Amino acid sequence: MTLSDPTNDQPPAADRAPRGASGPAARANGAPVLKLEGIHKSFGGSEVLKGIDLEVAAGETVVIIGASGSGKSTLLRCINFLELPDAGRVYLKGESVGTTVSTRRGERLVFKEQELNAMRRHVGMVFQSFNLFPHMTVVQNVMEGLVSVLRLKRDEARTRALRHLEAVGLAEKTEQYPSRLSGGQQQRVAIARALAMEPDVMLFDEATSALDPELVGEVLQVMRDLSLGGMTMVVVTHEMGFAYAAADRVIFIHQGQIHEQGTPEEILKHPKQERTKAFLRGLDHI
Amino acid sequence: MGYQFDFTVLQPYLPTFGRGLLVTFQLAGVCLLLGFTAGLLLALLRSSRIAPLVWPSAVFIEIFRNAPVLVQLVWFYYAFPVLIGATMSAFAAAVLALSLNTAAFSAELFRGGIQSIHRGQWEAGRALGMSNLTLMRRIILPQAIKRMIPPLTNRAIELTKMTALASTIAVPELLYQGRLINAVTFRPIESYTVVAVIYLIILWAGTILVNRLERRLGESD
Repeated sequence: MTLSDPTNDQPPAADRAPRGASGPAARANGAPVLKLEGIHKSFGGSEVLKGIDLEVAAGETVVIIGASGSGKSTLLRCINFLELPDAGRVYLKGESVGTTVSTRRGERLVFKEQELNAMRRHVGMVFQSFNLFPHMTVVQNVMEGLVSVLRLKRDEARTRALRHLEAVGLAEKTEQYPSRLSGGQQQRVAIARALAMEPDVMLFDEATSALDPELVGEVLQVMRDLSLGGMTMVVVTHEMGFAYAAADRVIFIHQGQIHEQGTPEEILKHPKQERTKAFLRGLDHI
Repeated sequence: MGYQFDFTVLQPYLPTFGRGLLVTFQLAGVCLLLGFTAGLLLALLRSSRIAPLVWPSAVFIEIFRNAPVLVQLVWFYYAFPVLIGATMSAFAAAVLALSLNTAAFSAELFRGGIQSIHRGQWEAGRALGMSNLTLMRRIILPQAIKRMIPPLTNRAIELTKMTALASTIAVPELLYQGRLINAVTFRPIESYTVVAVIYLIILWAGTILVNRLERRLGESD
């Protein structure tokens, strides 16, 4: 495993938007929790990501916005390798993911299943369609990763799972099957399932897009609390209100590239780029 | 029709029917276990993206799905021992033929079941850091098998019926015993009716049991 070069002179993450309540000690630590370098990804002939560089500091909430098909979900999925990037590197807490092998055509990065699994347990992900395990009760859903991946003892896993379910307001529903819950409740279970693994960073892939409008609020509230609590988060969303309220930094992706980024105020209220303005005009809610 | 039905003449032969039924159960049980296990393995091999594993399993499945079971049975009893230069009991030949046939058919059922599980389930497991094996064992197979219970039940019933074919190579199962009883009593109607009714009862009972199981498993839906 290659370690990232500690001497590289990336700017420290100090120029982020200041934010009031958050900011655990981890923030003082200069090394980014997550760093992407030149991520490229193509599907078939079309290039979806054209070289993305991104650093996310500990405790930071980064919100990614952009039109459908701009590549924002693909970018998120490249972070935990649900999609393998064609080129570029992902660093988690300074450690590069993948093993470099020398071939006749030069050096190449290969991703072994074991290595990816080891990395993924530190990266939580919440999906648009929840993806709860339908054959397990709510508490079993949250325990599953703890038992079969982290190898916790069952009672220990259960205690931890219940604590996380309580935190998302679902202490009453622990013995239900997911099919008995509303979409908003299911998504909160999915958040608890990811959080119980105690990840270094949480990824949210349009976590509220599949929800009925009246259920969006409860999920955003949980995400908001999480952000305020100092969790490092990368959030793909269409909820501009959430972006404005919770983000430390907003990134506008256009045609597979970071087109503009800055504080929520800068990007959502005073965008400089025409594309960003056009995208925001197309949305009627902010 | 002046035929006088008389089932009482079969009374002394009830233990014989019993022995036949036992062999039928043994044959069906062993073949079900071996066949489904091998079928699951074949399905996993065929679903893997490793070409040297995909090809042989695909060929195997096609051969055993497309040759008549009776031909397979006869082939394993008369031809296979010559090929390997060893003798083989009729029961062993029947186990081989019926298990491999069941494996081939159930492999396609398992593969279909595995593929029917939504992609999001795989991604959720991967995102937690599960290995492929854990993912398969904990997330995919429990859901897939639940969906496969109706077709697998059909397969099991089909297999139980197929065991009757083993009578042609003198495996002493139910139908074979029925034929023996007919040969000594000269009562074909009674002998074969009893055989048919026994098959009917055990398969019907099996179906009811599985339906109950299915309802219980369906609680999470």
